Amino acid sequence: MTARSALSRRGFLGTSMLFVAGSVVACSSDPQGTAAANGADVTLTQWYHQYGEEGTQAAVKRYAAEFTEAHPGIAINVVWGADVSQYETKLNAALLGDDAPDIFELGDFRAEMARKGQLEPLDDVYGAAKSGFNKADLDYLTVDGKLYAIKTMDDIMVLYYRKSLLKKAGVTPPSTFAELTDAAKKLTSDGTKGLFIGNDGIGDSPYLLAWSEGVDLIDGDKVVYADAARSIGGLRDLHADKSVLLGFTTDWYDPGAFNQGAAAMQWCGLWALPAVEKELGDDFGVLPWPAYDKKGRAVARLGGWSQAIHARSKHVAEAKKYLEWLWVKQTDLQIDWAVKYGFHVPAQTEVAAKTPEFGKGAAKEAARISTEHGKSFPAEWTQAMQAGFIAAAAAVAKGAAPARTLDKAQAKAQADLDKQTV
Amino acid sequence: MTSTLDAPRTAPRPAGVKRPPRASRLRGTLLGSVLTYLALCLLAAVCLIPFYMLLRNALMTTPEVTSTDWQWLPGALHWENFTGLFDNPERPFGRSLMNSLIIAVVTAPVATLFASMAGYALARIAVPGRAVVLALIVGTLMIPQAVTFLPTFVVVGSMGGVNTMWGLIAPGLFNAFAVVLFRSFYLSFPAEIEEAGRLDGLSHLGVYRRLILPNSTTMIASLGALSFIDAWNSFLWPLMIGQDPNSWTVQIALSSFLTSQTVDLPELFAGTVVAILPLVIMFLVAQRHIVQGIAMSGLKS
Amino acid sequence: MTATDTPPLHTDAVPPAPAAAPRRRRLSERRAKILAFAVLTAPMLIGLGIFRYVAIGWSFLLSFSEARRTIALGDWVGLDNYQQLLSDERFRGSLTMIVLFTALIVPLTFAASLGLAVLVNRVRRGRAFFRTAFLLPAAVSYVAAAMIWKMSLFSGVPSGLANTLGALFGADPTPWIQTQSPPLYWIVLVTLRLWLQVGLYMILFIAGLQSIPRHLYEAAELDGAGPWRTFRSITFPMLRNTSVAILLLMLIAALQAFDEFYTIFSTGASLGSEPVRTPLMHLYGVALQDQDYGVGSAGAFLLTLLIVLVTLLQGRILGFARDKD
Repeated sequence: MTARSALSRRGFLGTSMLFVAGSVVACSSDPQGTAAANGADVTLTQWYHQYGEEGTQAAVKRYAAEFTEAHPGIAINVVWGADVSQYETKLNAALLGDDAPDIFELGDFRAEMARKGQLEPLDDVYGAAKSGFNKADLDYLTVDGKLYAIKTMDDIMVLYYRKSLLKKAGVTPPSTFAELTDAAKKLTSDGTKGLFIGNDGIGDSPYLLAWSEGVDLIDGDKVVYADAARSIGGLRDLHADKSVLLGFTTDWYDPGAFNQGAAAMQWCGLWALPAVEKELGDDFGVLPWPAYDKKGRAVARLGGWSQAIHARSKHVAEAKKYLEWLWVKQTDLQIDWAVKYGFHVPAQTEVAAKTPEFGKGAAKEAARISTEHGKSFPAEWTQAMQAGFIAAAAAVAKGAAPARTLDKAQAKAQADLDKQTV
Repeated sequence: MTSTLDAPRTAPRPAGVKRPPRASRLRGTLLGSVLTYLALCLLAAVCLIPFYMLLRNALMTTPEVTSTDWQWLPGALHWENFTGLFDNPERPFGRSLMNSLIIAVVTAPVATLFASMAGYALARIAVPGRAVVLALIVGTLMIPQAVTFLPTFVVVGSMGGVNTMWGLIAPGLFNAFAVVLFRSFYLSFPAEIEEAGRLDGLSHLGVYRRLILPNSTTMIASLGALSFIDAWNSFLWPLMIGQDPNSWTVQIALSSFLTSQTVDLPELFAGTVVAILPLVIMFLVAQRHIVQGIAMSGLKS
Repeated sequence: MTATDTPPLHTDAVPPAPAAAPRRRRLSERRAKILAFAVLTAPMLIGLGIFRYVAIGWSFLLSFSEARRTIALGDWVGLDNYQQLLSDERFRGSLTMIVLFTALIVPLTFAASLGLAVLVNRVRRGRAFFRTAFLLPAAVSYVAAAMIWKMSLFSGVPSGLANTLGALFGADPTPWIQTQSPPLYWIVLVTLRLWLQVGLYMILFIAGLQSIPRHLYEAAELDGAGPWRTFRSITFPMLRNTSVAILLLMLIAALQAFDEFYTIFSTGASLGSEPVRTPLMHLYGVALQDQDYGVGSAGAFLLTLLIVLVTLLQGRILGFARDKD
């Protein structure tokens, strides 16, 4: 008994010591520190969010390796990060500490990051190539006259529709919101819903509705989305018909519901096009979100990802060199990045024109929608504003009075905006 | 199973007291116990349904899972769902399991040891200012853990702990509640042990190390088991601290199944099985300690 | 726990020590005591100092600062952050919602775990089996459970368990988590937490039940009291202390709900469409997603205040009840 308990005590202490030691080892082999690789003078840490497409991680690592080959003094430590929903949160957290990455991806660009001095201006990275970039993107990434990020791809989101199902139901591709509601209703049958815009039944639709009525979210230093009370009020009709698919296994950004026939129309990104094509052949088409009424305009959301440099990085010059090399000069790699894994539009207009995949069919149509109807969030838009706006729209969909609900949310968003600009 | 909770209800009956001899009562008891068993079986079945669903789905193919025709069992057992978990380079599931294991295995003994040390000192070593120290430790219990997540994040972040193993582990090592439990445990500790040790010339630390610790193994095992469970299942803290998938815990990896762009249902369920398996096994094997730990921490609060 | 209170002694593990001179020993005794005390409490004090006291203090100061995208102090704004949060309808909504949730889940869990404890405690054979069956869910994390609930039991597709059962009665597939009127998501949230917690509290109740002196039941049996009367006049009153402790644990746990709400309602892309959010979810959004550490910290203290108020209220109500007895 004595021997055993002494043994177990020693074992207990020994084990805990062992694991303390183990954790120290684990700490020192921390991902941030690993790539003091093969004799490079400078190691840049670069964060990506987790792309869903196979091969993306290998691709960015390959680009980094090619860069190091061309510039032996600079190694890149690629950190493949969290998925979209958590990436920004964690990036923000990291930017507070000392282990912040030198280069990082940004999904929704936040002007406040530039104004608070977290981002390095990149005008010199663009240089003369600036005029070759998509004008809408440049405007989006410019804060107080300086460019703070470089777009690596454009993602256009469009309305996919099943041609055969529309034909069977006797409806034409909708060109107004009323037609969309009507089509969704007629397309709803046993086992198939008319429209899928997100598992929550909201998705991006509040933005699209506002824009399609000709109302923006922010105008100058004023939040103005409550002017779109009429169109956003339309969500209630859409939901009242029970023609909207809710609670599917995958969300709107995955073509699963559309491909499996759970919905006849789905709001999704261009990135899903190869998967849809593989599943449905040519039995589908793409549309922008229809104009709210005859006076409105058709819109599509323009998203995508950018790269930015941390202003407090110790290696700003090297980081700039890398961004310029990859995202300004290496057009082959840009095309590879855009179309070899997922399906995105290269950010430089000329490069996009050279990409053969955008020469025909639905892809060509989507590229057209991107230039003619594409719209980005305002750079002053924040997650809090988004949360407030979406919550208000969700309340409207549930039956709350549109004007009053949106007004309230707008006042809150205005306070946020005022805080940013002081 | 020797825990007191298993003690059969064969209480000593006062002499001369007989069971009431009425037949109706006897019938009532019989009926009552049949009903009790029936109810218990039913409730246990309901309680176990989620486990069944989980296992069933984890061994099916996607079409089987999403099929509208109900199937009690998978057509064939698709173990490849489990192996598939570990060869996806985009989601380092094996690594996240390893991380969770390291965190739990470090946290459980170290946190319990720290609590035991402080608990012993507070109970048995009379020094001036002891009450103040006790108050300082108990004081942290007034503010709920979940509310301190933000301040703690601020501190750990400013110390460069974001995305590091120590950042994940360190804040969980200091459990004031366990200190209180250990303190009351050591308060009722027989004093003879220490006296004997002191007479033999052991220092206070020597007494603690050689006599007290070996005599607290039951207590340490119980609280250590609870601490292990907490560390394994914790979500909010690792969610905030770990950015790089290499520092994900298994809970975070699991939640990433839901938000990733394409959902592989059977793999998601297989991942859930793997994530809960260690604790389920632990519950089955070390139930005595866990039950005691729960009962202790609940009743002493 | 009587089982652990009197451990066997192992005094023979002590090696023989040289007898020290008594005078020297007395002189150094005080210092040795203080040293030993310091060494033993140091890890805990340092850890709590950094991760609780410094953290709470810093956060308290932050709550009076303008701190967007920074955790530096200095830009003092008084009570603005508190005011902003309290005027925020979504935060107030989250407070209302968590009180509702607590009012729903706590009595349910309390009744269910007490009921199970009484049932399990009544049977002689198979007690260990039933106890294990009910305790097993406690091994599952909220995230894992939310996964099972969201993707399998209450999934919106026809193959979900709830919808499969519904189909037997001719019901259409229902999106349980997204349906707002009636708010079916409450069923999802409440059953999940109930399943996870009921075993733990059952254990506590069983421990309480077994500390009730047997002779009370013998006496009741002699008096011919039925099971319900026995429960009401003996079991329940004798469980008072256990019940108070359990209620407190349940209340605090419910008010801090985060994991399952987050997992069930996270959609990966859009934020804000979740039908209900807990205060902690709101603060997570404010501080970590929107990077407003000032307002986030203020919220942490408001939530603390709510928890303290509710626990005080509970103490008061139960205190009054005791006076009446």
